[in-house]
Amino acid sequence: MFILKNAWISIKRNKGRNILIGIIILIIACACTITLAIKNTASYLIDSYKNAYDKEVTISFDRENMMKNFDPSQEDGRESAREKFDNIASFTVGDIQSFADSKYIESYYYTYSIGLNGNNIEKAEIESNNNMPNGFGHGKENNMSSTDFTLTGYSSLDAMSEFINGTYTMNEITDDAWDIAFDGNYIFINKELADYNDLNLNDKIKLESDDGNTYEFEIIGIFKENEEENGESMSMFSNSANTLVTNANAVTDITTKDEEIHSTINPTFIIDSYDNVEKLQDEFYEKGLDENFILQTNEEIALSGVSSIENINSFATTFLSLTLIIGGIVLFVINMINIRERKYEIGVLRTIGISKFKLTMQFVSELVIVSIVALILGAGIGAVSSKGVSNYLLESEINSSNERTEEIGKNFGGKTMNGGMLDRGKGAMRGKGMPVVEAYDSIDAVVDMKVLLELLGIGLSLVLVSSIASMVSIQRFSPLTILKERS
Amino acid sequence: MKNNKKNNYVSKDKLGNNFTHKQIVETDEEKIKNDKDIKEKNTSSKNIILSIKNASYRYSDAEDDDYALRDVSFDFESGKMYAIKGRSGTGKTTLLSLISGLERCTEGEIIFDKKSLNSMNLDKYRNSDIGIVFQSYNLLPFMTSAENIILSMDVSGLKIKNKKEKAIELMEKVGLKETYADRKVLRLSGGEQQRVAIARSLSYNPKMIIADEPTGNLDKQTETEILEIFKKLAHEENKCVIIVTHSQNVCDTVDVIYDLKKSK
Repeated sequence: MFILKNAWISIKRNKGRNILIGIIILIIACACTITLAIKNTASYLIDSYKNAYDKEVTISFDRENMMKNFDPSQEDGRESAREKFDNIASFTVGDIQSFADSKYIESYYYTYSIGLNGNNIEKAEIESNNNMPNGFGHGKENNMSSTDFTLTGYSSLDAMSEFINGTYTMNEITDDAWDIAFDGNYIFINKELADYNDLNLNDKIKLESDDGNTYEFEIIGIFKENEEENGESMSMFSNSANTLVTNANAVTDITTKDEEIHSTINPTFIIDSYDNVEKLQDEFYEKGLDENFILQTNEEIALSGVSSIENINSFATTFLSLTLIIGGIVLFVINMINIRERKYEIGVLRTIGISKFKLTMQFVSELVIVSIVALILGAGIGAVSSKGVSNYLLESEINSSNERTEEIGKNFGGKTMNGGMLDRGKGAMRGKGMPVVEAYDSIDAVVDMKVLLELLGIGLSLVLVSSIASMVSIQRFSPLTILKERS
Repeated sequence: MKNNKKNNYVSKDKLGNNFTHKQIVETDEEKIKNDKDIKEKNTSSKNIILSIKNASYRYSDAEDDDYALRDVSFDFESGKMYAIKGRSGTGKTTLLSLISGLERCTEGEIIFDKKSLNSMNLDKYRNSDIGIVFQSYNLLPFMTSAENIILSMDVSGLKIKNKKEKAIELMEKVGLKETYADRKVLRLSGGEQQRVAIARSLSYNPKMIIADEPTGNLDKQTETEILEIFKKLAHEENKCVIIVTHSQNVCDTVDVIYDLKKSK
């Protein structure tokens, strides 16, 4: 207890020096608080961006691996490569469900595409522009490219990436479209196809397979392709003019009846962590996935939006480090001067029997008391200043986020989404690169407990580092020598 | 009648010259006869509080045979006042630092109250068992007289309800009025500061007082007064008082003189 009492007496006695130390620590604390708050905001934004994207895994064909053994100089090289490619086992909805049954997978969705011909509608005439979707075929060869239409079934709203990324925009939609879209024979068609065949909402169209089976669908929405994003086309029709959008169940029903129909499946798995991708890939191989397929993640895309924020974050880190180094050196020097000036006091105290440990504690306590006061003041000033800085950083993100939300809403049908589907629509947007960013409305949010604990840690570390001078000196000083020098 | 004992300790100074510590014990029996109390104490069995046994000290950077103090053996009894005198370089300060626990013997040992200093916590020894008084007082100038004394009580871990009251009591004991208690020590004269230093050394009631030239900076009159305090502490409070000195006046006051001499 007398250590604290002595420390307090010394602080009062050395007002000038302690005020100087306090001001230095206050400046450091203020700078640290602002920097930590910026880092905190940046981390929040980075997390928002990371959370904005689901951790997605897709199955891709490993062309590199496939081409390894391909020798174009050999006569039969091309033929054998094609044969090999054709022999690669494709997968089915059942396979996807089997793959999805993994501890690493949180959810999954897929698009399921088949080729069908029109029965009571005509395909929009285009020049060899039938869009063959990427995916892994199953069934009769080249079936889809020779048919009039590509019928793409989405397993959920999440799977409708073309609408989310703005490739397709809903032009017209029935009021209950999103309530019935994923169960039953309902369809969205391209506006060009609708105009070409004079089709409207709630009209029914018939499609037929090569085997002659007929399937009837009701039109619940008409979409158009965003040509700006797809660039100029030489055709009078867009690529998706003959693409019909329905749900995956409807396509499954067709493939169940028409077993030989050619189909392609593009699954997307939402995983718990990017770290588990390799383990998941091994698991897929064990479950029968051909080794010419590999798993790919969207990690790069998820992180692409945060580079500028990461730059701010690393600048803040550098600034913080420099502040601490310079501040630490200044404090160390002041402490060394302090010790030299108080050598006599140390000698007397050691002579009357105060232990080195207690004496060190007294000197450290003095610095800790001054530091705590300065840290509190510095944190307060820093917190007030950092709120504005942090909110400025967040403002632009909020604006772009709002704009993007509106944009996606429009892609899914605009006004209609203000009804029952609005929440589902927003749900769909999450995981598709839509960060949920909010402005800080209180200082607590900017300078939270984490920042305060970091500040406390930094402050105490600084105090300890700058106290090394006193600790070492007290250990080395001989009281008798000090007192003899004084005499 | 004087009873002189002489012991020679061969050592080397830092330049490598051989020298001898000569220990002269002068017991002035006539003085004791004039003081009945002391006589009783000295005729009774010896009450040794501190015993130096073949103590040697060599600086860590000195050569093997280069001792600052070599093979010294003294005994100190409670209730007596001792003077250690000698010319410069004979090892007085070294001996003082050894018996005051500021250094440890490199060879031999010092026994305090039946315990070897080699195995004792010297901080505890300094803040509880002995009181040290220096020529230059070594008070903390930014504190008042009472605060200096209270600090010493705090360091020793003494649990006293009213420490200031105790400090004033000690100050009065060494001849300082209560009004001096709240005065910064720098505003006191040399003699007054030395009295505060003595009061501080008594704050935890040690068994032994070690003083290094305590009257070196004082005038004759004050020296006599200070010595009187030491004498009372030894003879009335049964403390062992050891004074390192050059002063003949001090030597005339003490009961026993140890004279350290170096001889080639």
